[in-house]
Amino acid sequence: MLSLENQFEDNVLTTKVDWLINWARLSSIWPMTFGLACCAIEMMAVGAAHHDLDRFGAGAFRASPRQADLMIVAGTVNFKMAERVKRLYDQMPSPKYVIAMGACATGGGPYYKYGYTVVKGVDRVIPVDVYIAGCPPRPEALLEGLMKLQEKIRNSSVIRRPARTA
Amino acid sequence: MDFQGIHDRLVAIGAPGLLGVDLPRKPDPKNKKDKGRAGDAFALVDAQALADFLEVCRDDDRLKFEQLVDLSATDPAKDSADLWINVQLLSLKFRHRLAIKCLLPKASASMPSTVRVYRASQWHERECAEMFGISFVGHPDPRNILLPDDWVGYPMRKDYEFPKEYHGISCE
Repeated sequence: MLSLENQFEDNVLTTKVDWLINWARLSSIWPMTFGLACCAIEMMAVGAAHHDLDRFGAGAFRASPRQADLMIVAGTVNFKMAERVKRLYDQMPSPKYVIAMGACATGGGPYYKYGYTVVKGVDRVIPVDVYIAGCPPRPEALLEGLMKLQEKIRNSSVIRRPARTA
Repeated sequence: MDFQGIHDRLVAIGAPGLLGVDLPRKPDPKNKKDKGRAGDAFALVDAQALADFLEVCRDDDRLKFEQLVDLSATDPAKDSADLWINVQLLSLKFRHRLAIKCLLPKASASMPSTVRVYRASQWHERECAEMFGISFVGHPDPRNILLPDDWVGYPMRKDYEFPKEYHGISCE
């Protein structure tokens, strides 16, 4: 590296490929426009001016799964919807991430025992990166979850990606 | 009109299928196990004649129940032989309401559809059909409304058993 010092003009940076690509990915996690229940109201609050998801570069809610990086499963997933959720997840381009927001998406929530059509956790259908507790979680909790996801992306390696557990 | 007035009118015009009334009552002080019954007064109607009964309620000049507010069912108990069909009617013209109850045996839960009288009952009957296993004969579109098409069982029956898995998704 010594021989490279002061060899370039002012606007050139040197960095690791991992760092650069991870930085690009974690700074523009575009979520999908997709809400299933009351958690979606909190998600909308996060997207609005007061909590301002755009600060994290994640405010561009895409209306198509093919343009989205992040699926925020905000609400109760029932069997009828689970097939659609799976299909939407399959339509998203890699690298893709999933946040299970709230008690229902994490593990069935209040419908765990008597919800005859409720999937007891969206991780039975698609792989989940971050779980957020709460019923519904406060907007700050979703921001925390997003930062956890950014942390996860920051520590991932582009060359050798860790095996994802399905 | 109050309930008594509506009931008198129904009797006077000979409404088809009217079996009687189910009135709320206070607990019997001598019998401590008797809790009485709270709530509305019901007109008891024969389920097989419900559509004809509703037609009279809708068209009679003194009743004019233009609106079907609700049509639902109840499974009162596991050992009960009957399901209840509960209907709520509202007259916007006279500002009166009527609550109707029908008993429908679980063993043969089938009754004529009321869609020809109130189109509003289409979705209500579809929901009752999938949740309680009631077949409404003559319904124009008897699909499931909430549950998946291949759902097994009737979830709102008291003796319903929860599925173990659905399309490979475990329910345990």
